[in-house]
Amino acid sequence: MEFARYDVNKYSPRQMVALPLVLLLLAGVLLGYATLATGLPLTPGIDFAGGTAVTVFTSDGRETIEAIFSGYPLLSVGEGIGDGKYLQFGPMDDTQHQALVALINEKYPDAKVDQIGETFGKTLQGQAFLALIFSFIGMAVVVFIAFRSLVPAGTIVLAAFADIAITAGIMQVVGIPLSLGTTAALLMLIGYSVDSNILLTTRLLKRKGKLDEKLAGAFRTGIIMTTTTLAAIAAMWVVSTAGQIQIISEIGSVLLIGLFVDMMNTWMLNAGILKGYILRGNKK
Amino acid sequence: MNSEAIMSLIKDWRVALLLLLVAGSLVGIYLAPPSPEKGLEGNLQFGLDLQGGSWLQMEFQSVVVAYSPDGSAGDLVENLRTGLEAEVIQIDENHLEIRKNVPRADLEPIFATSDASIVTYQTGVSPFTADEVKRILNDKVNALGMQDARINLLTPTGSEYPQYVRIELAGVDMATAQEIIGTQGLFEIRVQTTGNETEHVLYGDQITSVGVPQRDPDGRWGVGFSFTDTGAEAFRNAAIESGAVDNPNAHHLVMILDNETVYSAPLDRDLAAQLRSGPVRSLSASTGIGDAGLDDAMALQIHLRAGALPVQVDIVGSGSVPAALGEQFKTTVALAGLFALFTVGVVVYYRYREPAIVLPMIATNFAEIIILLGIARFIVQLDLATIAGLIAVVGTGIDQLVIITDEVLHEGRVPSPNLYMKRYGRALGIIAVAAATVFIAMLPLALMDLSTLRGFAIITILGVLIGILVTRPAYGKIIMAILSK
Repeated sequence: MEFARYDVNKYSPRQMVALPLVLLLLAGVLLGYATLATGLPLTPGIDFAGGTAVTVFTSDGRETIEAIFSGYPLLSVGEGIGDGKYLQFGPMDDTQHQALVALINEKYPDAKVDQIGETFGKTLQGQAFLALIFSFIGMAVVVFIAFRSLVPAGTIVLAAFADIAITAGIMQVVGIPLSLGTTAALLMLIGYSVDSNILLTTRLLKRKGKLDEKLAGAFRTGIIMTTTTLAAIAAMWVVSTAGQIQIISEIGSVLLIGLFVDMMNTWMLNAGILKGYILRGNKK
Repeated sequence: MNSEAIMSLIKDWRVALLLLLVAGSLVGIYLAPPSPEKGLEGNLQFGLDLQGGSWLQMEFQSVVVAYSPDGSAGDLVENLRTGLEAEVIQIDENHLEIRKNVPRADLEPIFATSDASIVTYQTGVSPFTADEVKRILNDKVNALGMQDARINLLTPTGSEYPQYVRIELAGVDMATAQEIIGTQGLFEIRVQTTGNETEHVLYGDQITSVGVPQRDPDGRWGVGFSFTDTGAEAFRNAAIESGAVDNPNAHHLVMILDNETVYSAPLDRDLAAQLRSGPVRSLSASTGIGDAGLDDAMALQIHLRAGALPVQVDIVGSGSVPAALGEQFKTTVALAGLFALFTVGVVVYYRYREPAIVLPMIATNFAEIIILLGIARFIVQLDLATIAGLIAVVGTGIDQLVIITDEVLHEGRVPSPNLYMKRYGRALGIIAVAAATVFIAMLPLALMDLSTLRGFAIITILGVLIGILVTRPAYGKIIMAILSK
């Protein structure tokens, strides 16, 4: 395994935390810029912006589809493996939507169609935002109760925050929109990321033994943990993307990105800060 | 491992519980009740996107306003009614439901003229009205013989009042679904002429408004409604010509909805007298006293509206999945799940290279999925997002089994039972904290009415709970028994 070759004991705490912090900063700038420009840190998908999504299995090519729907606000045509297509339309009024549905029924009677109104999208957005805030605060409270010590608990919370922020930054760069599915994935990430961080913190602070050995042991376990999760999610992502199941594919992509980001944040950021904390504590 | 060791293992409560739950879940899915015709799916409940059907989400065009001072409602309600041309219902002494989507700014001047002021303003309807909408929709759906319909009222988090109603109809396409919501029944008033014969008086289109059930001073419940001018004229003529005005008891007035009699009663004496002198536009149909009277009044009210909803609704979201596509998705997600389990198996094998560890791990994980499905059958429908949650649970599940294995197998050797239990406890400690965070992180999503990801969140939380309470402890015992042979 490639990751296993990273020697978690080779670098000083300062070197370890450098990369994650720089990425966190970059992500912050990116999301901040997007917020200033559009009012939202991420490009909203149909769930939040309103519009119509169509999943259809057809041998028609992109151009044919674009021609068929030329009279409608077609935003994008996504193509999966095989004949699966995922079309996205911007918001439209009721009459136009009815006409669109009729057209879809005529051309592709076997299509899955979902439509969300613009204002309803706004409501969903607000609700998703609330969920994110509550989740994060809840997680932080649990972590502080579990460790009852500012630096270790604060570090875990910081790592979780960095996970979400950097993952969101990458989503923005790669062009994954913020939807109900991706919001759920970000929430899931809060849960996932804390897993390996807690393992690390528990092993380093509550076990006896040499720091280097404990760190290496935690690293071994932690990497295998994240790899198994990655394997499950990757399998899910591959099958759902190939089968054009948009919502699972979206959840899968965000979790995949997030798990890689989490490996970095756990074994560089969190491990670095903890190492520095323990080393300094010993000198006193 | 010999049979004695297996027996003692099964007698351990953790392992016994695991086996019991797996067996129970299998029974729940396949045998209670038996469903051989459904094959592998058994009694699992699938969401629309896996079984095909349509959903409509509708927003109530209505607001609920709290105002002060309390109780000075008479003028205010009247002013609002005329000023807005909307129905206004007094919910309690300081709350009004205004059945029109009016912005707060438009309401303020009207409140000011009635010496009242708005305390809070929220879009939505009172729970009472919401239930009525739900009942009407239910009636409509039932009347069409549709069994697999779900109607839910949704209240956004942070609001006190239901703002949306979502209806899901399995196996129905979009056009049919909209028709069901949109069509009204045929309502007719007839008057008894001679014997059991009746004569047409007017149709439901002559009814302009229908009130909510109210009690008169004698304690009788009734529903008020009004006619158009033409309607009132027709009603008066029919009452006089049939003789109902002179002999009410022999000439009942009959209300019929879709060819079914829903109400039949004689003219009230006062009303008869009024009708002699001229047309009456507003009348009330009384239904009796007590709870029975109220129930009848509620039903009558719905009938008077001929199945029309008391509040206007706008469709804010909709969708449909053809059954064939749902079937295809089902196959795909089943494949995704199996593939995930297999991949995880490969990775774990790569790490431990010891079938005695890998097989129990995969088996435990599989058991966890079965238990989850067994419980899910009663509380959530499996939709696409829920399946994603299930697969995510496989991921976290395995990674926690790795924590246990690694804690216990410290330095590659199996320790003495004492030390084992200590380490095992520590591993469970790590898992418990991790489980608590996942639980908390998913809780908001599971509690929010509006999210279509409730299933995802609920399954994740359930997975975490079953993991920490049942499968992880059992796995710890199993792995110890296997390794210390």
